[in-house]
Amino acid sequence: MNGIISTNGLTMQFGAQRALDSVTADVYSGVTGLVGANGAGKTTFLSLVLGLRVPTSGQITVLGMHPQTNGAALRAQLGYGAERNIVPHDMPASDFVKHMAEMRGMPRSEAKGRASDALWLVGLGEERARALGTMSTGQRQRVKLAQAIASDPALLLLDEPTDGLDPVQRDDVLTLIKHISREYGIDVLLSSHLLEEVERICDQLVALDAGQLVAQGRITDLVGDQQGVVVELAETSDFPHAFTDMVSQLRESGLEVNPNDSSWRMDVIGPEADFLADCVRDAAVDANARLVRVERRKRRLEDLFSVNPL
Amino acid sequence: MTTNTNTNAPQNTTTAEISDGAAIFGRGYRKYEGARSGIGGAVRSLMWQTIRSILGLGRPARHKVFPVIVLVIAAIPAVVYLGATIIIRDIGQTESGITVNYYELFNFSVFPIVIFSAMVTPEALVRDRLDGMVSMYLSTPLNRLTYLYAKVAAVLSVMLIITFGPVLLALVGYTIIGDGPDGLVEWVKLCFRLFLGGLVIAMVVSAIAMACSSITNRRAFASIAVIMVTIGGLITSEILGNITGYSDLYGLLSPLETATETATRILGESSANDNETALLAFVSTGEVAFGCAAWFLVSAAVIGHRYHRLEAD
Repeated sequence: MNGIISTNGLTMQFGAQRALDSVTADVYSGVTGLVGANGAGKTTFLSLVLGLRVPTSGQITVLGMHPQTNGAALRAQLGYGAERNIVPHDMPASDFVKHMAEMRGMPRSEAKGRASDALWLVGLGEERARALGTMSTGQRQRVKLAQAIASDPALLLLDEPTDGLDPVQRDDVLTLIKHISREYGIDVLLSSHLLEEVERICDQLVALDAGQLVAQGRITDLVGDQQGVVVELAETSDFPHAFTDMVSQLRESGLEVNPNDSSWRMDVIGPEADFLADCVRDAAVDANARLVRVERRKRRLEDLFSVNPL
Repeated sequence: MTTNTNTNAPQNTTTAEISDGAAIFGRGYRKYEGARSGIGGAVRSLMWQTIRSILGLGRPARHKVFPVIVLVIAAIPAVVYLGATIIIRDIGQTESGITVNYYELFNFSVFPIVIFSAMVTPEALVRDRLDGMVSMYLSTPLNRLTYLYAKVAAVLSVMLIITFGPVLLALVGYTIIGDGPDGLVEWVKLCFRLFLGGLVIAMVVSAIAMACSSITNRRAFASIAVIMVTIGGLITSEILGNITGYSDLYGLLSPLETATETATRILGESSANDNETALLAFVSTGEVAFGCAAWFLVSAAVIGHRYHRLEAD
């Protein structure tokens, strides 16, 4: 257990329901995606990190501390952006951010300046005097981010920070989170059910499914090139056997082929993509097949959840 | 239209000069290396924020109207007492002829404090739950207990303004016009007793109001519940105690009667002095104190139970 967050056999049971099932994971510095479908156990995991719950069994350490025994000291070093998008509606953004900075231990004189700095950083400097109730969903998400970073946390916990945002706003917020982590050295644990955004900004991943750990590690290790190429043919009535002929020809050449007859798509497995592409081209010519695409096989984060897709 | 040209710009400057007084004022977001205030700072911050919220400070003017009206109403009896005393003296009487009974001022403060607690205490608790702020606060050094501690301290502080403020005003006023206690020691003793009396009333009413506010997420329902428990308790105890002629102990069913009688006994007085038909006139001080403690503890238990079960996320 040597990451900024380390768990060993972490289990959380609510009555008959097991929200987390013996999760053993390490989260290291950088931006880490905590990914899983709704109900996968992400929020329960975050509440255990914050020390708001006592695990049924197993251990967890965060920044070298036990959340259950050092909760107050630990939480003073954490920034947290809750999932729910509701905040005090009649409170100005600057007052809200200042108040939360004070709650996390900032002296009053320091909190005011830092609240202003944090709001400028998230792009709301000009809007800081506006009441939160008059702000758009995107602006409120930025305020939630500002209040989480105003106290200069060592670790930022963000629960679905792009929830309710349109694609442009989502891009902006994700870019901002990445910038904050890189520029100011704040580690981030980002909970999301959107694999695309996790893949886009995270260095590492902890994937949960129905309370169980599905995968963990560096994104670059979990996704990337796989051996082989993907081939897709156009169905044609002129040469109805083109697909099967091509598969047979490739197999006769000694290549491993995994065909999908219904979609006229096949994976051709092998170490040299260029060589495989040449083989595919020659086989397509011989079988009178019409090629739609030939591309390198890529492993995607979705593949981690192929059994229980998100 | 004129063109603005800077004719004062140096013409022959070839190198920039750095002033000794140059300073960077906007440093932007930066790391913080200083001390953090921990749980104490978090409690203070939440307490102060809650007081601001209750009194409408930092909020639109309409939120300030009600607290100001209640504070004025609470202070009126003390001002009237003082004014009457001064006026009677001014028209030539050597003695005012008005004897101030501080415990009566406590009785006068009951109506404002019930209205105030019913209207604004839900603001202190229900609003956090509706706004999702409870989970935000529990992500700071606070836990459920320290969160409630900060809330109780805030509500109690505001209630004390209503219960202790008027009697303190009267004490200071009478002292200034020469009708106060004899000597500093007596003055401090009386002031301390008045504070304790005000604290007891504030504690009981605050606890009931917070208990009612903890069991519902509807502010209106919480307000109605506060009035039902306080005023309803008073009516019930009146019916059972006076009309049916049952035991005087039925008076303890009224939290308001119990709290004000406790405050009266703290001042060394009894409601029996003025009104022999008062509900708790002939109930022993120990029993009154027990009733008062029971109201407070039962209310505290309801709050604790509700927040122990509250999901932080």
